[in-house]
Amino acid sequence: MTGDLPRDGIGQPDPVILADPTVLFARRAERLRVLAVGHPMADWLRFLSLIADAQQRACASPLSPWPGSAEPVTAGNQTLDGPPLPAETIRPDATFDTIVANLVTVAADPMMPEPARSILSDLTGLDVHAVADGWLTGTLSSEYAGHAVPIAAALQVWFARRAAALDVGTVHLLPQRGLCPVCASAPVAGLITAKGKTPGARYLHCGLCATAWNFVRASCTGCGESKGLALQEVEGGSGAVKAETCDVCHGYAKMFYQAKDMAIEPLADDLGSLGLDLMISDAGWSRLAPNPLLLAAR
Amino acid sequence: MELNRRSFIRMSGAALAASSIGALGFGASGEALAASVRPFKLTRTAETRNTCTYCSVACGILIYTLGDRAKNAKPSVVHIEGDPDHPVNRGTLCPKGAALLDVVHAPTRVKYPMHRAPGSNEFKRVSWDFALDRLATLMKQDRDANFVTRNAAGTTVNRWTTTGMLAASASSNETAFLTWKIVRSFGMVVFDNQARV
Repeated sequence: MTGDLPRDGIGQPDPVILADPTVLFARRAERLRVLAVGHPMADWLRFLSLIADAQQRACASPLSPWPGSAEPVTAGNQTLDGPPLPAETIRPDATFDTIVANLVTVAADPMMPEPARSILSDLTGLDVHAVADGWLTGTLSSEYAGHAVPIAAALQVWFARRAAALDVGTVHLLPQRGLCPVCASAPVAGLITAKGKTPGARYLHCGLCATAWNFVRASCTGCGESKGLALQEVEGGSGAVKAETCDVCHGYAKMFYQAKDMAIEPLADDLGSLGLDLMISDAGWSRLAPNPLLLAAR
Repeated sequence: MELNRRSFIRMSGAALAASSIGALGFGASGEALAASVRPFKLTRTAETRNTCTYCSVACGILIYTLGDRAKNAKPSVVHIEGDPDHPVNRGTLCPKGAALLDVVHAPTRVKYPMHRAPGSNEFKRVSWDFALDRLATLMKQDRDANFVTRNAAGTTVNRWTTTGMLAASASSNETAFLTWKIVRSFGMVVFDNQARV
């Protein structure tokens, strides 16, 4: 808490904060590498850090203009209050292939397990747009469980860059506050901030386009109820990660506390704290939405 | 079997091995993770929104209570902080509000009606019936002795100025309404309802 202490009193929290794709994935990769040290899932986290590195490289390619319109947001596929980039209907353009090509290069890493190497190499011959469509609509067959990771990673790049090109002033919170105001995806986790303009405010983070949006604390991010809400953590933990469990909808979402760890990156830290998910699931709560880089067949 | 990015999920070591993790050849790490958490337990803290009881600013607070609501476990308030979503204080608290946790746990905190009889030097715990009867008796005596029906000009005023009342800042609208109705119907004018926000 140094230079960013408010001088003119504390204002309202910004409703929406767009991600900065020039640093987003590099920070995520760095955080994944830190989390991997001494972690039971070190190999998996290290693999994901390589994916994040490739995502950052993909962000360097030029962003093509939106086909047929200078203003992508007014493409006509949204209602007045709808999200500007609804993941249900918007599909990536040809730049998506370039992003996927960047991810394929991860296969060359000398420590890559054989299944991962062959799946990444497979992508070149695959109709990646069809797989991406299946991933976005939730109709992807479970035989693509492996392919889903690089495809989701490529979609993250595409959506995060498109989201970052929006004018934040035109993005409004949805009536369903628990969904991303840009792409209407479910959040991957929440971050209780400790710095910035409004320390203490909670932001939910989109797993797809990395947009952060304000969500009132002490209410369930799934059903909005406050009764029966509890914060659960591993006994003796640092307090940096807690599962917010709801006894009304029997769902939970993970919350990260910046005050306890300034280096937290919600998506990376979510993947680095899956042990808490195992314990909470075992105790009877269901996770409200999965991490996009970890889908399980149902 | 389809992969859905929207659905509720239950996580387990076996589910992790059958997910993307297993498909990419990292299945063993899912099992390692499951084994690593087995010795640990969860602690449960309830997060409750409330209002600071001190003054009429009525700052929003968040109260954290440790305990799993089991019958034999007594819940304990472990932390209180300003509510960042409350429009009045936006997460901030004054030094008194910031010390609320010590008020909750103070050994000298008044938890029951206490009475110090005239001439005595100690407080004794009394019943609510006794306390309310005693208050009512003293209020009536004072009101009977000091009630002002007319002012110097002969205008009817019906004022009771020798007893005052301070209500709580955390009152609901309904409580505030009833407080006004009762206090003003006595003719009481020295009165702070606190709930101005």
